[in-house]
Amino acid sequence: MAASSSATVVRRRSLRRRTRWVGLGFAALPLGLYALVVLVPLAQSFQYSFFKWDGVTASTWVGFDNYVSFVTDPVLRSTFGHVLVLIGFFALLPIALGLLSAALLTRAKQPGMAVYRWIFFLPQVMTTVVIALVFKRIYAPDGPLNTALRAVGLDSFAKTWLGDFTWALPALGLIGTWVTFGFCMVLFISGTSAIAPELYEAARMDGAGPVREFFAVTLPGLRGQLAVALTLTITAALRTFDLVWITTHGGPGTSTLTPAVALYKAAFQNPQVGLAAAIGVVMAALCLVIAVVITRLSERD
Amino acid sequence: MISKTERVVNYVVLTFLALLVLFPIGSFILSALSPDRSGKPVGVGDFAWGNFATAWRDADFSRAMAVSMIIAVVVVAGQVMLGLLGGYAFGVLGVVGDKVLFPIVLLGMMISLEAIIVPLYYQFRTFGLTNTIPGIILIHLGMGVPFGVFWMRAAFRALPRSAFESAEMDGAGPLRMLRSMAAPMAKPAIYTLILLSFMWTWNDYFLSLVFLHGDNQTATVALGVFQGKYVTQINLMAAGGLIVAAPVLALYIVFQRKFISGMLAGAIKE
Repeated sequence: MAASSSATVVRRRSLRRRTRWVGLGFAALPLGLYALVVLVPLAQSFQYSFFKWDGVTASTWVGFDNYVSFVTDPVLRSTFGHVLVLIGFFALLPIALGLLSAALLTRAKQPGMAVYRWIFFLPQVMTTVVIALVFKRIYAPDGPLNTALRAVGLDSFAKTWLGDFTWALPALGLIGTWVTFGFCMVLFISGTSAIAPELYEAARMDGAGPVREFFAVTLPGLRGQLAVALTLTITAALRTFDLVWITTHGGPGTSTLTPAVALYKAAFQNPQVGLAAAIGVVMAALCLVIAVVITRLSERD
Repeated sequence: MISKTERVVNYVVLTFLALLVLFPIGSFILSALSPDRSGKPVGVGDFAWGNFATAWRDADFSRAMAVSMIIAVVVVAGQVMLGLLGGYAFGVLGVVGDKVLFPIVLLGMMISLEAIIVPLYYQFRTFGLTNTIPGIILIHLGMGVPFGVFWMRAAFRALPRSAFESAEMDGAGPLRMLRSMAAPMAKPAIYTLILLSFMWTWNDYFLSLVFLHGDNQTATVALGVFQGKYVTQINLMAAGGLIVAAPVLALYIVFQRKFISGMLAGAIKE
């Protein structure tokens, strides 16, 4: 009896081992394509980043020079400063708005929520090219924004928003706010509805007001959603390309240049291929670090 | 359960925020319908529906939309197939070395296009694959593998194990089991994958901008060129924008639940 059952186990195990080889066969095509298109170029990016190459003639080894230029080249350095500003608009502002609305809205189900959710998600499904056009018109010299400012007598504030050295970057940032806040809201609202009602009852028993209740119950309960929202929006800010390319091309001057736009220019316009690869490597590393750090923080007690 | 005032406050907050989202889009639609080249909004009776036809013709959208559609359809079909194969392998069969291989696949969801675009372009150039539609399809497919595999693996793992066991008893091979049982049972997840994959491919701008030129331009890139040329004709520019946004918006209107739940689930698990 015991012998026969152990024989079955052995047979099952060998069957299991065989299916794992079959499994590898099934996964071969997806894995192969993934390796070819993502992993190999990723390794090559590292390799390229140590060379100086114009894309045509022979390349020369330059060691870490391309990475050093992140510090020495003021224009390249400034792109990361711009990213910090964009993070404020893409990540912090939408998340604050999302939390505020999640706190204001009572946690009871109401009719009509589906319609609102549909509206809040609308910017997520629109291609950024179209979003860029929508806002290019709004910010235009005689667009709705300036018309509104003039209508209320604030003529002196009316300006060519996207052509202004000071205002172009915040104006771009607000587009990001518009795109992401609905997503954050829906995420947080669905998160709060998953918090156990007993926690709120307990907080109320302890005499907590709405503000204390928010900080003691809602915010800790949304930790997972916060991590997701932060990761997605911060990486989106870091990777901004389409919006800038369509609206300002990084200008006026270099006042709205982002790392991705700098990469595109270096890779395909006046080729400094090695530098472009280095920018790509740094961006990828930052994305990875951001994701890991935020996940770690959110899981810590 | 909640008081009437609370209910009213809820609606006021929601409506205010919804208007913030809708106002820019609404004003864009109005300017697309304006007979005036500045895009000044007009009354319903004066709507210039002809703007769409003019923009379509002037931007040569029939070619660009066809290119985008071909790419999107092939990529969606391919991505679903790759997702099914990979998801079934990692989720049901098990894979030799999956302790190493699966994390590598997951890593792909965090690798941004920027990290690979430069070598990708110069390597593809050596093989004559730049500015070709098969070339860009290949890239979309390879980059889509991590999400497709991750998504379908989760779907297959959620299926009851007993179904697989009884099918195994009946002597079904792994391929037949995938085709006749696992895939049909995972239909809801497949539909979501189709919608998300179509949206991502159609909305892509960066990859198309780098790889496709001239006659091979996708709709998003063609729109970018068009708006650069028609800076002063805002009504046509807006009409062109709506044409390019239309396919995904139409899908979003019909399949809104799948879109929203898919994007939320995809984001949370990432």
